[in-house]
Amino acid sequence: MARDGVVLEVEAVSKSFGALAALTDVSLAVREGEVFSVIGPNGAGKSTLFNVVSGLYAPSAGRVRLHGREITGLAPEAINRLGVAKTFQITNVFPEISVGENVRVAAQSRARESGRLASLWRRSDVDARVGELLGPFGLAAKRDELAENLAHGEQRYLEICLALATEPTLLLLDEPTAGMTPGETKDATRLIREVARRRGLTLLLIEHDMSVVMGISDRVAVLHFGEKIAEGPPDAIRNDPKVIEAYLGGGED
Amino acid sequence: MSRVVTWRAALVFAVLAALPGVPGISQYSLLLAFDALLFGAIAMSLDLLIGYTGLVSFGHAAFYGLGAYATAIVLERGVLSLWACLGAAVLVVGAYALVVSYFATARRGIYFALLTLIFAEVVYTFFRYTQTFGGSDGIQGLPDARLWPGAAIDTPLRKYYLVLTYLALAYAVCRLVVTSHFGRVLVAIRENEDRARFLGYSVQRYKMAICMISALLTGLAGAIYPMRSAFATPDLMLWTESGEFIISVMIGGLGTLVGPVIGGAFFTILRDKVSSYVDWYFIVIGVVLIVIVLFMPRGLLGFRRLLGFKQWRATA
Repeated sequence: MARDGVVLEVEAVSKSFGALAALTDVSLAVREGEVFSVIGPNGAGKSTLFNVVSGLYAPSAGRVRLHGREITGLAPEAINRLGVAKTFQITNVFPEISVGENVRVAAQSRARESGRLASLWRRSDVDARVGELLGPFGLAAKRDELAENLAHGEQRYLEICLALATEPTLLLLDEPTAGMTPGETKDATRLIREVARRRGLTLLLIEHDMSVVMGISDRVAVLHFGEKIAEGPPDAIRNDPKVIEAYLGGGED
Repeated sequence: MSRVVTWRAALVFAVLAALPGVPGISQYSLLLAFDALLFGAIAMSLDLLIGYTGLVSFGHAAFYGLGAYATAIVLERGVLSLWACLGAAVLVVGAYALVVSYFATARRGIYFALLTLIFAEVVYTFFRYTQTFGGSDGIQGLPDARLWPGAAIDTPLRKYYLVLTYLALAYAVCRLVVTSHFGRVLVAIRENEDRARFLGYSVQRYKMAICMISALLTGLAGAIYPMRSAFATPDLMLWTESGEFIISVMIGGLGTLVGPVIGGAFFTILRDKVSSYVDWYFIVIGVVLIVIVLFMPRGLLGFRRLLGFKQWRATA
């Protein structure tokens, strides 16, 4: 069933909350090693799509496949264990424990002891991995600080570290640069791209900041009122009249 | 840090073991010490849930009481082995805790607390109104248990060492669990359980497991109680008892293990001392507790911070 090189396949997914159709018949295929972005105005259904893929919601209709294997409706923890990690639009870390402990608990979820009886008395040796994860994001010196005391940008990076610590093959980033200054956004974008390339990650990115998307994406899909209205390389998307209409036109007409 | 903790703990237990050697210490004081340490051990087991995992159980009295009844029923039948009593408690409390923790961990926050409370009230009501188990009188006049044939646990001194041994073993188990791989996941669940799921952890299974551990430790403490009191009554399962466990954890310091032991012991001794002077002792205790909660929100152990300890709560 799996097409060659396709990591994630979303097939005709719809999701409605009561009478509200958040997603209607959305399909997309993310290929191995690419950076695929989903953009759209606020309320376009981007986060809902992420929540369906990551297992928070079961879709009302349609299927989701990972490496050809159906994952529709699996729980978030099960999908994570299959190699999908997610970062959150609103920073979602463990506030009252240290930065190092945050990453440690994430990293040990892939240790041998995880989910076994021995985890009750053994400790997983993940010190080295915690260091490797914190290093590239400039957080090594903050290892002993409480996560809640980090600056906003640093918390965004910690968020990404947590996701990477679970050794995903597919990383879902929900507006990773939300709340960053333009300078920070540029650095973050470069860093994310670099880390993804080094780890051979496939990225699925949600953004509403067009400038971020255009710089780093291989392909872009555009959602508008829960429907996919365009898909293609960034340059084609930039000039697509339907996309311009969605972003500039607004309204229902 | 863990080696320091181990040495400090060993020192404390050595002091406690030497306590009966204090010249002129009364039998009564030894029995009070028994109660204090037992209460402390229960608060410590409850801390696994409240302090480490962020789950407030309002039903720990049921685990405690069931453990006590298990011992009472075994002793009443003339089986005097300590090990038979403990084994019976593990079976009974384990079976009950499996059901409670399965249903309670399916819900969060206040619903978890209410479910544990409701289950416990059902157990209380059952024992309170079932004449087979003595109804409101419970089971009275129990013989002393034996460590092995001929070695009766019959003096306050022996009883004291029984509870001290239990506390030391329970502390070792709790310490091991909270510093393990598993313990780190518990803290992550306390901090942000949704995020823990997205890191691949089956949160409900972790919650169930820690509920079982906490319940079994509390049940074993319950099994030891009748070996000093010679009775088990339904009042041990009353919800106010669960409330006192929670209060002990709070005044001792959440998520510290040692704090709740101190809190439980403090609470027991305070109640004993005040009630020997006045009938309205609970008002006095209430005032003391309010002062502690208002002015030492991190509990008695929060004072550590003033002594130069950087972190007040375990982050392991």
